Amino acid sequence: MTVEQERLDDATPESADAPPIIQALDVVKTYDTGKVKVEALRGVSLTIHHGEMVAIMGPSGCGKTTLLNCLSGLDIIDSGRVSVDGVDLSTMSDNDKTEYRALRMGFVFQFYNLLPVLSAVENVELPLLVSGVSARESRERALSALDTVHLRDWAEHKPAELSGGQRQRVTIARALVNDPAIVWGDEPTGDLDSTNADEIMDLLCDLNDRHHQTFVLVTHAREVAERTGRIIKMQDGQIISDNRMIDRDAGIWGPAEPSETAKE
Amino acid sequence: MDELFGLSMNYIMFGLLAALGLSFVTVGYVALRNRIMFLMGLRNMPRRVAQTVLIVVGLMLSTLIISAAFTTGDTIDYSLSNTSFTLLGHVDEVIQRRGEEGSPNQIESTIPQEVNDRLRAAIEAAEDSNIDGYLPLLFEQVPLINPETGLSEPNATFAGLDADSLDGFPDIISATTGDHLDLSSLGPREAFINESAADELAAEPGDRIDAFVRSLPNTFTIVDVVEDRFTTGVGDFGAKEGLITRLDTLQVIFDKPGEVNVIAISNTGGVRDSVNLSDEVVSTLQAVIADEGLAPDNPRTTDVALEVEDVKQDLVEDSEQAGNVFATLFLVFGLFSIGAGMLLIVMIFVMLAAERKSEMGMARAVGTKRGDLIQMFMSEGMAYNVLAAMVGAGLGILVAFVIAIIMARIFSGFGINIQPHVTLRSVVISYSLGVVLTYLTVVFSSWRVSNLNIVAAIRDLPETGATNPEGATWVGYIRGVLNASVAVGAALVYLIVALRFTELAPLFRIGVLIALVGPWLYLLRGHSFSRPVDQRAVLQPIPKWPHLAFPFYLPALALVWLTRDRRPRSVPAGFILLGIVVAPVGLVLVALQDRDRPIAWSAGFGTLGLVVGALFVQWGVASDLAAPFALGFSLIAFGAAMVLRFFALPARPVFTTMGAVILVLWGLTAGNRLVWLVGELEGDIEMFFLSGVAMVAASTFVLMYNADLILALLSRLGGLFGPILPAMRTAVAYPLASKFRTGMTLAMISLVVFALTVMSTLTLNFDRLFLADTARGGWDVIVDENPNNPIDDLTAVLHNAGSGAPEQFRAVGRVSIDSTSLVSEITASNPRGDHRLNDYPVLGIDEGFVDGGDILLSARARGFESDGDVWEAMNEQRTVAIIDGFTLEGGGLFEEHSFSISGIDPDARVFDPILLNLWDPITGRNAKVRVIGVIDFGASATFSGVYVPERMFTRVFGEPDVSRHYVGLLDPGDSKAVAQNIESTLLTAGVQAESLKERIDDEQALGRNFFLLMQGFMGLGLFVGIAAVGVIAFRTVVERRQQIGMLRAIGYKRSTVALSFILESSFITLLAVFSGVGLALWLSYFLVTSDDFPSDLGGYFIPWFQIIFIGAFTYVASLVMTIIPARQASRVYPAEALRYE
Repeated sequence: MTVEQERLDDATPESADAPPIIQALDVVKTYDTGKVKVEALRGVSLTIHHGEMVAIMGPSGCGKTTLLNCLSGLDIIDSGRVSVDGVDLSTMSDNDKTEYRALRMGFVFQFYNLLPVLSAVENVELPLLVSGVSARESRERALSALDTVHLRDWAEHKPAELSGGQRQRVTIARALVNDPAIVWGDEPTGDLDSTNADEIMDLLCDLNDRHHQTFVLVTHAREVAERTGRIIKMQDGQIISDNRMIDRDAGIWGPAEPSETAKE
Repeated sequence: MDELFGLSMNYIMFGLLAALGLSFVTVGYVALRNRIMFLMGLRNMPRRVAQTVLIVVGLMLSTLIISAAFTTGDTIDYSLSNTSFTLLGHVDEVIQRRGEEGSPNQIESTIPQEVNDRLRAAIEAAEDSNIDGYLPLLFEQVPLINPETGLSEPNATFAGLDADSLDGFPDIISATTGDHLDLSSLGPREAFINESAADELAAEPGDRIDAFVRSLPNTFTIVDVVEDRFTTGVGDFGAKEGLITRLDTLQVIFDKPGEVNVIAISNTGGVRDSVNLSDEVVSTLQAVIADEGLAPDNPRTTDVALEVEDVKQDLVEDSEQAGNVFATLFLVFGLFSIGAGMLLIVMIFVMLAAERKSEMGMARAVGTKRGDLIQMFMSEGMAYNVLAAMVGAGLGILVAFVIAIIMARIFSGFGINIQPHVTLRSVVISYSLGVVLTYLTVVFSSWRVSNLNIVAAIRDLPETGATNPEGATWVGYIRGVLNASVAVGAALVYLIVALRFTELAPLFRIGVLIALVGPWLYLLRGHSFSRPVDQRAVLQPIPKWPHLAFPFYLPALALVWLTRDRRPRSVPAGFILLGIVVAPVGLVLVALQDRDRPIAWSAGFGTLGLVVGALFVQWGVASDLAAPFALGFSLIAFGAAMVLRFFALPARPVFTTMGAVILVLWGLTAGNRLVWLVGELEGDIEMFFLSGVAMVAASTFVLMYNADLILALLSRLGGLFGPILPAMRTAVAYPLASKFRTGMTLAMISLVVFALTVMSTLTLNFDRLFLADTARGGWDVIVDENPNNPIDDLTAVLHNAGSGAPEQFRAVGRVSIDSTSLVSEITASNPRGDHRLNDYPVLGIDEGFVDGGDILLSARARGFESDGDVWEAMNEQRTVAIIDGFTLEGGGLFEEHSFSISGIDPDARVFDPILLNLWDPITGRNAKVRVIGVIDFGASATFSGVYVPERMFTRVFGEPDVSRHYVGLLDPGDSKAVAQNIESTLLTAGVQAESLKERIDDEQALGRNFFLLMQGFMGLGLFVGIAAVGVIAFRTVVERRQQIGMLRAIGYKRSTVALSFILESSFITLLAVFSGVGLALWLSYFLVTSDDFPSDLGGYFIPWFQIIFIGAFTYVASLVMTIIPARQASRVYPAEALRYE
């Protein structure tokens, strides 16, 4: 066992019921544009457990989207370690990471990022097709995922023919269609009005409750964050607070186990 | 080359320079008055270097093709005229017996000593300072043998030159030293040999050469090898071998004391400049000839009648004309590519605009005017343009030089030395034309892209036009029609009328002027001047730039004025009505309309299309012309589709029906299958281009509005594609979502593929026609005798010479040929047949030819049951004739024939006999013959001329100048060996024998190779389409960056992203290739199987090999263009791509 692995294990709360799914240790990420260097992440460490619903908050430019990208393997880190399901991402090739994302992760973006030229069901079935699932089964599962987000009747419509809320629900269906262990959301309600935002959050919370999938959401909105079970706040590339919900009905939040978020 | 399409090249150059200047001035104006937009335009250039390079390549392709066409014209002009100057040397004019039209070495009749002396004295007495040489020559055809090398030449020219008259003709030049040689120093058994003959015989100075006269050898010692010249025996470009001796020596050998057959005249000056004096010298010579009583008064003149030929001027003019023909041919065949190049320019700018959509939206939001955006794009476009046209013109010259090298090989057998050449004028014209065409396209594209919705642009939303509250209503429709009529329609109608019906030209000139006000008023539409006084904005300035519209119409007016001399019949009442009613009503209407009110332009122009289309159809049917008819119904179909769309009929059925109607009707028109409806329509080469453009446009519509079926099919068959299904699906979905750019690319590629495939298919079918066994008419070997050694009975002569060849003979026929024969058709307006006399071969055929041949006839005179009856009549009757199929009007597809007959319908299988008058201009004798048969087109190339029974021939022309013997073999496969046997056996008699199959193959190979060259040139257009594929691929990487990021996030591997791009290009290219090939086969099928195609081949042949090559080349090239963008796309890092919106 390496020293880093020991530190990762140390960062895991001994009291947590569920095993950890994501572990980050001293993650550093700097953007170098040639003239300017921006330290987006400055030694971030955290652990997220299976079935957790976590919100990452912070002002613009604090590094929350960068953290999401680094944790999900969309971006590479300069130093530190990220392991997902016990697998160190840095040991995986680009193809392995891609395959892993296809099989184990789902993504929901602020601007939906649906392919405008494909219908809703075709968009949803894409992750299955790239994973090698047969066309027939992909279609069945995509329709079922659309059913889950209450869009079965809109399956043949193209994104341009759907409202913002509907589009985001298609994105969620796409994120869930391959039954992922983790769903990443980057401002999933950022482009929606409050009614649609509430609906989307209801849906996500419901899915989290029913399927116990891990949700990591980057958001500006306090009301969105408060619907999750844990809020991590960031500033200047560092985590400045990490709170867990203690009593949802009473609105009581308490600090997460210190070891869940390794501080500098 | 001095002319193009009948216009002086100098005028073209000055016109284009003026247009070039105008385009620079407009950009200069922007640079001075709107510097910021000018600089913004320029600063866009280095933003993406790879893209800039691609744009320059895209913009230069049209110029490249234009430049290559002009330089090829220059090359041909220069090479031919250079060859002419070199060969003629100081000979500017020749004087010969009247009617001697063949090459000088073929001339039979001679000028007696007395006439020659008299003429020389008279010319000297005329004291024309422009004349500095008078050289009598005798040319005779002889076989030559070099006993030392064993090599021979059966048909060389033996030239006898008057050694005392060579002062003005320093053309006897040693090939080794370059010195002028003294002919008078030659002894009676000495001669010079020219380079061609020396090569053929491997002869050197000191060798002894045998020249056979009446089969007897005359041995000459070669003193030196001289350069090839007219005076050293070069008859024409194809027969250069010559032996040169003193005139008196040759006169003795041929027993022609004092006789000559050509008198060469040299003008004062050198080889090239002397040609400028030709007109004056010819008049002097003609005056002298007339004074001496030697001028030909009429065809019956029997005395020695002389005429002057300004050979050098003729050849130089022919060279120029050939240059023009080639430049025009290449330019016209390049039209597809030039058109595709212009489509590419439009697409490049539309895509540039798409890329900068949000920044342009922002610029508009903060106060940039639409005109500013136009100026910005125009500046940028002009900067690319200036550079691209320069590169294009340069590369065009390179391409032309490659063409020259290929042509040099193709034409090498004709003795023409093709040398690459380019003139400054052509470079200037190519560059200016390239810049001006691109400039106009850029301005149009800039205007188009400047029409953006600011909010949609900023938020990168799809562009949506304002909803027309009058959409699908009759009011909206009528307003659209009136507006369109005023903006363009009225001007168009007036122009057409003014061009066609010019007796009313003044009236219509006024009409044009009125109609021109329309666009200007349109631009002022909604301006407050048209409102009641109290509603007018006080400070609203009247825009000035609409005035710019006027200069563009000035050329139109000039055109009307220039064509005022045409005098057609009458003006249809509809035109007058249109002229009187539409324009003024429309004018009032536009002036009173609100600017913000949308206008249904598509419906308006659609209706104009219907009207103009109907007029075109009427014109086509009335004048029996296929082009206006086909264009007309295409316009009608298109116009109707526009109108139906305005009334909200669904796009798919409307455009599919429109496309299908156009495709079917073009096919039927091209194949003349609508005779029952519209009568016989005539079409020429222009139909090829028009059909290409119309059919490709139609099929592109059909494909683009139905291609989603492919996507649906793909979804159904999804399982078959396995892991590439996701890539496949996006690869098809994206192009279908961008109809404009996909349609444009599709059209560009399929246009060129169409043209190449049609050419290949027609070439193959013509090849099959001319190479078919029927083209040989049952004969296998042609034997040409030497005029000095006539052969009466070929079989007997061969037997006597000990040859075994006759044992393989199945049949032998003889054809008598006279070098000067005139033919005219006897018609109601030419009852005696003494007008419209044409030089055309008349050939006398003996019984052997009739009995042994099997020449197919395409038509026979009424009363003859079979081809056999017709041929039998040739044996039994005297006043009958059979003519070749080229002579029928419209019978020749690609060449003008020197004699055409109007009295026989080219499509008829049976005709009423017509009469021809045959004239011998030397003897003045003539006779009438009845045409009873027409030779099938496929055999007409081999058997061209008017065939009459030998008795008739002898009656008019006397003894033949020369005879040609046709031999049919028991085994046609032996033709080559038998021909060689005959030639070697009868070598001393100067006999030339050739396998007919080999000869036809060679002749066809020339045409085929030339068509291959043309195809290669047209293939340049494929690069336009391929460049378009590249432009799209580069653009889509940028455009879909974020989507690629998302795809990568959800599990697309790099290879899948790259594959998706490759498949996308493949989809577009393959669709285009299949469309182009399909349309071409469709059109060619109608052409080849129509009654107009010269012969019933019993089939339709498809050049699969070439088609596969064209398709594969296009596909592979487009893949190569996609590799870099596909790699770029696959390397997009998901986190980065997802970062920005």
